[in-house]
Amino acid sequence: MDITYPPEAEAFRERVRAFLGENLPAGWTGLGALAEEEREQFRESWRRTLAEHQMLAVSWPKEYGGAGLSLVEQVVLAEEFARAGAPQGSENDGFGIGMLGNTLIHLGTEEQKKHYLPRILSGEQRWCQGYSEPDAGSDLAGIRTSAVLDGDEWVINGQKTWTSSGHLADHIFVLARTDPSAAKHKGITFLLVPMDQPGVEVRPIVNMAGYALFNEVFFTDARTASHEVVGGVNDGWRTAMALLGFERGVGATTDAIRFRGDLDRLVALARERGLTEDPRIRERLAWCHSRVEVMRYRGLISLSRLLNGGRPGPEASISKVIWSEFAQAYTELAIEILGPEALAPTGQATGGLLQMPEAGTENSPLSWVETFMSARAGTIYAGSSQIQRNIIGEQLLGLPKEPRLDAGPFRDLAGSRG
Amino acid sequence: MDFAFSKDQEEFRSSLRRFLTEKAPLSSVRAASETDLGYDPLVWKQMSEQLGLPGLHIAEEHGGSGTGLLEPAVVLEETGRALSSSPYLAGLFASLAIQRLGSPELQADLLPRIASGEAVVTLATIEVASPTGTRGLATTAVSRGDQVTLTGRKTLVEHGHSADVLLVSAVGADAPTGDARLYVVQGDAAGLTRTRQHALDLTRPVAEVVLDGTPAVALGDPAPGALDELVDLFCALLASEMVGGTEACLTMAVAYAKDRMQFNRPIGSFQAIKHKCAEMLIALDGARAAAQYAVMVADGGSAELSTVGPLAKAEASEAFTFAANWTIQVLGGIGFTWEQDAHLYFRRAWADSGLLGGPAAQRARLADRIGL
Repeated sequence: MDITYPPEAEAFRERVRAFLGENLPAGWTGLGALAEEEREQFRESWRRTLAEHQMLAVSWPKEYGGAGLSLVEQVVLAEEFARAGAPQGSENDGFGIGMLGNTLIHLGTEEQKKHYLPRILSGEQRWCQGYSEPDAGSDLAGIRTSAVLDGDEWVINGQKTWTSSGHLADHIFVLARTDPSAAKHKGITFLLVPMDQPGVEVRPIVNMAGYALFNEVFFTDARTASHEVVGGVNDGWRTAMALLGFERGVGATTDAIRFRGDLDRLVALARERGLTEDPRIRERLAWCHSRVEVMRYRGLISLSRLLNGGRPGPEASISKVIWSEFAQAYTELAIEILGPEALAPTGQATGGLLQMPEAGTENSPLSWVETFMSARAGTIYAGSSQIQRNIIGEQLLGLPKEPRLDAGPFRDLAGSRG
Repeated sequence: MDFAFSKDQEEFRSSLRRFLTEKAPLSSVRAASETDLGYDPLVWKQMSEQLGLPGLHIAEEHGGSGTGLLEPAVVLEETGRALSSSPYLAGLFASLAIQRLGSPELQADLLPRIASGEAVVTLATIEVASPTGTRGLATTAVSRGDQVTLTGRKTLVEHGHSADVLLVSAVGADAPTGDARLYVVQGDAAGLTRTRQHALDLTRPVAEVVLDGTPAVALGDPAPGALDELVDLFCALLASEMVGGTEACLTMAVAYAKDRMQFNRPIGSFQAIKHKCAEMLIALDGARAAAQYAVMVADGGSAELSTVGPLAKAEASEAFTFAANWTIQVLGGIGFTWEQDAHLYFRRAWADSGLLGGPAAQRARLADRIGL
């Protein structure tokens, strides 16, 4: 049993460290230490630096602008960037590089790869994800947004929602219904759609923490060319699921690093208030330490499997449940530690966050209250905790599915036409 | 990097699992639990002589196979899954104490007898007021010249009523707040009263041991904190045993949930049941990762064991008790019967969880050691 990284990964780690040492501003602690208006500017210039040094998509093949390295190097890069508090790209890169780019590499046509991959990397195109709809959340295959061929163009009508970073995007990948006479999973097509057209309208949604990070996207006779299909026409569910695999990605291997930093902040918060002496708080902090360590051990197991030829699979559902439920538990502990300070929180705000504040954020009561609020989203997005438990039960334990009430042509299902 | 048991270790696991399934099914473990000994000596003889289990980690010069701690961890996962009542765990803990603390003479005397299965040696450390058996001990040692005698009362001594040799923890009568030491006491020593206890866990016989001026020999001269380090090691190994038991519970619950029909469908198709089974797997997966990391650290002799031992013990305790609780619930009425095996796992889960201190006690130790 051995947890040392292979020498080539350690060599790459040295390269990444050297790169960070040379390129991050002196005394860098993280984006959180910058004024909010400076953050976007830094992100943009930093992203250009990453692109120049091939640090954005290290596991993509070289011919498409990647560094031609493996997933292990991607993990090493994530580890080192997290330690340094350095952003790995822009808000849209998770969708453009992590999800769409990887999917195109595996399922795209040669023309699509040549056209899109360099533009995603250069930042010329900013992507977002058009999956969920008001009536298709956990039941994603129930989407109603339609696409109909008109000559050499698809005409798209419908509505997407919870579109993170959609307000910053100029392109969207869309699951659209192209054959309502087929069963619900069989009549879906995965389309690439430019957003800079009159038929696409983006409206922000303000989340419960008060930040507008996600959006509704409305399509009214929006158009995209007939060849902008990834996978086959009516075979988009397979593409959607492949992309989900990339969305899971190597997250399990880096969850522990992301949470360790925030847990250190929590311990500091308790210590500043003299609460590390309180046996009840001590036990809960030790529990938090244990959960983050378990994430680290599980990450090592995943990484070890990757190195020995495995791919991330449904066990990623276990990781998702663990981190998202932990995110709620440790922020609830923060609220208890803060006591009255949580009820009228002061200090630096986060500026909006998906999971945890940017590195370098002041250890303020307000930053904790915002993190605490934002943690409610983690058990809902990217497959709710309940959907993950279905996947774990059915795919990992082989338990039988619920009896289906949605077989047969999609158009015959209750509510299929709204 | 290869953070997994090796191919050879997995093959060893498979053959051991076949052996235990065939030779020590739960029906025979139950039957043996009602005998005076509490385990099946013929199965233990095969485990010792054919499989060489008790000597795996013991040096070749002492008649063992000289493996590290990963092979014993594999054994524990499998004996945990099978709820083995054999004295394997007792001998493992005792031999690890002897390896780390014993004088060369005592090692040469005791280790070969443990390795061959000829002698059952067990630790008698726990007291009602000292769950780890290392601190706050009431058992005292009195030295007169070369003679040492022990007086005190030990509980939960595994196989204590039948063991050939006991390793008893005690503090000097003249320095009761000092570090505890271990002493070797022969099973037939004068002033030793051993009574099998009516135990929560039916598949692991335990005894109360009363010492009254009982002659003993010091095992060695431990460095300060050496007994606490042993407890960390035992915690790591117990975590492996609990992982095996947790997996057995999950297997039992899932098999039943696929089979049992209510409302004209298998109950495992209901999310109320499915999601509990999923949570058992989530708990098992985390506990397995922690136990695996802990035995790796223990095997490598790293000081990290002082945090990882209690951590793994707490994680595995919670996983096992959760899985055992919910297995009974998934099985419904039949799960609450004497006849069904679920309660045997439930008993083992709670007994293992409490052994050497439950999750709260482990997390308190962890908190001290991570500098909170």
